[in-house]
Amino acid sequence: MSETENDIKGADVEKRPVSDPNDYHTYLDEDGRIHGDPSLMQGEENKPEPITNKDLFRTWLRWWWCNEVPHSFDRMVAPALTFGLMPVLKKLYKNPIMLGEAYQRHLVFFNTQAVWGGGIISGITVSLEEERAKALNAGEDAVDASVIQNTKIGLMGPLAGIGDSIDSGTVQYIFIALFLGLAQEGNPLGAILPFVCFATATFIYGYLFTKMGYSMGRRAALEIMKGGKIRSIINALGVLGLFMMGIMAAKYVTLTTPLQWSLSGKAFVLQDTLNAVLPGLIPLLAVLGLYLFFEKKGMKVTQAMLGFTAILAVLAAIGIL
Amino acid sequence: MGKEPCVFPCKNRGSRKRLGEWKRKGAIMSVVQALLIAIFVAAVESRALGYATLTMRFSPLMSGLVVGLVLGNMPLAMVTTATIQLIYMGVVAPGGAMPSEPCISAAVAVSAAVIGNLEPEAAVAIAVPVGLLGSYLYQLRFFLNTFAIQKMDQYAVSAESGKLAFWIGGVPVIISFVLFVPLMFIALYLGAPVISDFMNAISNGPVLHVLSTIGGGLAALGIAITMHVIGNRKLLVFFFLAYFLQVVTSSAGLTMITWAVFGVIIAICYGLFTEKSPENE
Repeated sequence: MSETENDIKGADVEKRPVSDPNDYHTYLDEDGRIHGDPSLMQGEENKPEPITNKDLFRTWLRWWWCNEVPHSFDRMVAPALTFGLMPVLKKLYKNPIMLGEAYQRHLVFFNTQAVWGGGIISGITVSLEEERAKALNAGEDAVDASVIQNTKIGLMGPLAGIGDSIDSGTVQYIFIALFLGLAQEGNPLGAILPFVCFATATFIYGYLFTKMGYSMGRRAALEIMKGGKIRSIINALGVLGLFMMGIMAAKYVTLTTPLQWSLSGKAFVLQDTLNAVLPGLIPLLAVLGLYLFFEKKGMKVTQAMLGFTAILAVLAAIGIL
Repeated sequence: MGKEPCVFPCKNRGSRKRLGEWKRKGAIMSVVQALLIAIFVAAVESRALGYATLTMRFSPLMSGLVVGLVLGNMPLAMVTTATIQLIYMGVVAPGGAMPSEPCISAAVAVSAAVIGNLEPEAAVAIAVPVGLLGSYLYQLRFFLNTFAIQKMDQYAVSAESGKLAFWIGGVPVIISFVLFVPLMFIALYLGAPVISDFMNAISNGPVLHVLSTIGGGLAALGIAITMHVIGNRKLLVFFFLAYFLQVVTSSAGLTMITWAVFGVIIAICYGLFTEKSPENE
């Protein structure tokens, strides 16, 4: 700490002992961010505790629970990640100023999917924070805080993309489709089973991701995103997902036409003819039409829903459907 | 009017007949019942049950189950919920924002259906607009949470871990309960009977035909969304395979589980046949 720097800080913080090394105000810049002095981390009493599997489980469990609770527009789920990392950070940064600095850097904007993004990134973050804390304690060159931040920011988007399409987009609906028949018969298991299966499956592989992120560090994400394995898992799930959607479309989209007219005294029922030529043509056209709409215009769900409802209502009212 | 004999295997035709038995005259909702359902919705929408709330929020199934449990008519609630589920297949929330809140819409629509003995299609017609309104409430929650952030920042800098944890994990939950419990209570206790009377008044003849056509057709929406989210056009052939398999074997009445077994086998075969030569690994 140079004299001049202390003076500037001192002016901000009225009447505080200007250079008290144990007061966080000493280390604040004009944006209110802490820039801790690495020397605070040295010494035997600041030695980071080792990170165990139990800590990783706690990190995952806390993130898993808190995930969407503090979601807000300006920070998204950054507070939830901080909440998950808190026990680990407390073990690593014994000095309260350095701990505050660590809390603060994780409260900045962050948004990702809970299991793929959250699991892997929280594991990687724990490993980077551990590396940094140990190096600071030993007085060596440490991982810079900006590297930790950039790793998180760089990974959160791609992993969210993978996670959203696999977990909430595919796996969840495979479970729902599987047990929907039960619900249709009035059986409550039709609601309980998809919920239990999805929650259990994602909890287990999310924890495995956390451990993997920790043990492989930054390499983990590259492995996941570039490896051929994930590609083939996504494809296989895609095959299963589309197959189930095909069954669902045939089973549950119930659109038929009541149109009939008499041709030279013989009743001509359009639906019978359709059934003879290509059964299920109308539901198929409806699904494919909507699919093409989304492929062309993107995920405009509300627009599609309102438009499609209007079309159905009109066609039903005039007797075509 | 009404639907012509089902050409397609509507699995629910059987349970449709029994729907009559499950309907009870003069069902009403008490203050306690409305409150219980409102608390469940608040617990889900606050996400206070962890990531497990994903299915509870994205799918109407669990709220339908709770409504059935609280109102004491599980079969009718589940049949209605299953019909609502079909339009919400494929709902995902990229970046956390969803175009609808199936949890909220099902709580209101299934309640209205159970107390008013409505057809499942009428419940779908209630669910769609309620779900849209619900998504605004969820956005409001994101906005209200920003007020907690100032405190989070304050306790992060001073490294007061206990207070920081409370403002991250506790306060947003309280905010959500304050937001959702009263609103859902009013919507259920005062709104559901009015909605169900209204639907009963208009659901006859032509209106019911229009509603049931919409209900039967909207299932296509959720399926199309899921197909778009899976997003691989090359794999679309498996959709057609399954579609026509089901159409031609409809009389065999195979269950979803059976089809899923075939689906998994086909997916594994696909993996085997497209596997790259081992030099890559």
